Amino acid sequence: MNSILIKNNQYNIGYICTSQQCDEGRGDKIAMRWINSSLEKTDYTFNDIDKESNKFANVLKNLSFNKGDIFFTFLPKSTEQIFAFLGTLKIQAVAGTLFSNFGEESLLDRLGDSGAKGIITKKSLYKKVSRIQEKLPALETIIITDIDEHLSENVLSYSLLMKEASAKFNVELTQPDIPSVLHYTSGSTGKPKGVLHQHKSVLLQSYTSQHILQLNENEIFWCTADQGWVTGTSYGIIGPWSLGVTQVHFGGSYNADVWMSLLENEKITIWYTAPTALRMLMREDRAIYLKHDLRNLKHIFSVGEPLNPEVIHWSRELFKKDIYDTWFQTETGSIMITNRPGLTVKPGSMGKPNGAIDAAIISDEGNIINDKKTGNLCLKAGWDSMFRTYLNNEDVYNKKFKNGYYYSGDLAYRDEEGYYWFVGRNDDVINTAGHLISPFEIESALLEIPEIAESGVIGAPDDILFEKVVAYVRLKDQFSWSDDLEMDIRLRLANKLSSIATPQEIKVIKEVPKNKSGKIMRRVLKAWYMGTDPGDISTLEE
Amino acid sequence: MDTFEELNAVFCKVFDDKDIKITPEMTADNIDEWDSLSHVNLVVAIEKHFGVKFKSSEIIRWKNVGQMLTSINEKLAAK
Repeated sequence: MNSILIKNNQYNIGYICTSQQCDEGRGDKIAMRWINSSLEKTDYTFNDIDKESNKFANVLKNLSFNKGDIFFTFLPKSTEQIFAFLGTLKIQAVAGTLFSNFGEESLLDRLGDSGAKGIITKKSLYKKVSRIQEKLPALETIIITDIDEHLSENVLSYSLLMKEASAKFNVELTQPDIPSVLHYTSGSTGKPKGVLHQHKSVLLQSYTSQHILQLNENEIFWCTADQGWVTGTSYGIIGPWSLGVTQVHFGGSYNADVWMSLLENEKITIWYTAPTALRMLMREDRAIYLKHDLRNLKHIFSVGEPLNPEVIHWSRELFKKDIYDTWFQTETGSIMITNRPGLTVKPGSMGKPNGAIDAAIISDEGNIINDKKTGNLCLKAGWDSMFRTYLNNEDVYNKKFKNGYYYSGDLAYRDEEGYYWFVGRNDDVINTAGHLISPFEIESALLEIPEIAESGVIGAPDDILFEKVVAYVRLKDQFSWSDDLEMDIRLRLANKLSSIATPQEIKVIKEVPKNKSGKIMRRVLKAWYMGTDPGDISTLEE
Repeated sequence: MDTFEELNAVFCKVFDDKDIKITPEMTADNIDEWDSLSHVNLVVAIEKHFGVKFKSSEIIRWKNVGQMLTSINEKLAAK
């Protein structure tokens, strides 16, 4: 696949996205139009991003980073994050990304498990890192983007380091199976798991950018995803730049009018966003849309959680366009099952496999199902962007594969025309606004609050977020419920884990239902919440 | 402590950062942790601290901290 993409057996993602584009004559083409929250614009050509990422590669080399070392970005959307990400890949170190809203416990889990050697962040976020620094013996280097002087031997100024670094860097020949990108993802049990990818993932990221997102050199692309998550790296950096596409990156937050102005003024042709954002846009005053000329916009794509049909109907009516829902996971690295131009959209469907992979619905007994029955959504192992392992968790990785198929954890069915339809998860992982949240992580954090004796956390349907976090707690006997306590719980979870892990509702109960071996019966909690039959409760603890 | 200082204290608590210094022009773009979900926490904390309640229509009109402060002062004056 994409033999044209790989020159001289060089698979290095950092090289392909920058130096190779320059070699192919796109050096002076705009690679990135960076628009900050005040709407000030700065253009970076492919020559610029090549030089900046070369400088960062030299910064890391000068600080004794080597192949295989793990270096994280912990920044809101910013140019420094992108240069650091690409520079890290250029030296064949592993580039991890962290969502800038993570609290210190979320950071500690990820930096600690990975044994990260370095991190780039900003002053305001460094406060969180500094509180856990002594628990991270492997973390040797902290680079801060908004200080002018080094703070100590290992807390260093980005601008000073970059000023002293050469813009020339020779990227060593990188084999396809060399580790590249690291994202942490939540499961229903245990701590978050480090999903490790390889440089050859660029093959499928590039292929899907071209054949699904319809990107080519003439398009102007805007992916709204944060680089802390897989969409932000696979399609906010790698896929489009492997094809020499101009990208708009916006550093501000959600604002319907600003977003529409960006689509209009930047003449964006392909837009990749999320259902939560689309549902929020759907609730805005129609006048916002009518005053903008979006004639350049050719296609809208969506990713993160299932796209409800009403959003597609809204877009058809307002924009005269379909929205193409795409499905993939951190583990898959690129779009796997998807709608796209040229394929009739069945609103509510996931679409069909991307054309370069094999998918199947498989029963719990291991049989492939073809007759609209719900089963496990599986992918034939071996696709180019398949994750290489869960870092330090090979056993769990191996359990995801059976008889040559990867089990995604999603349940789905396939209709007679080959379209896939999402049904739900086969575990308790919560998908809120496109982010997977582990109920276990939230339950654990709740138990650290002195007043709480027991906790159980579920996801419940939500009109905007797809699912919202709902926490059930039992208080210790000596404590009683109050507004103050509720506020303390919300803030504690927001600041220790992240804002996305904050329960939208907290319910106090006398006992958290558990089975006889002490496992929380979340399905019983969910049935209580939904007002449905909890089913078999014979294993419920007396 | 006047309303402005009290609001500053609420911000510090909600965003777990004692160094936050709010200004009337400040928006969500100026505080890294201020996103749509933490905004819910902020509103709830403000309501609780000042003993006031806001309608959704009032909240969505806030474009910056200054407008938030005006809204709080109006509610306090009407108490």
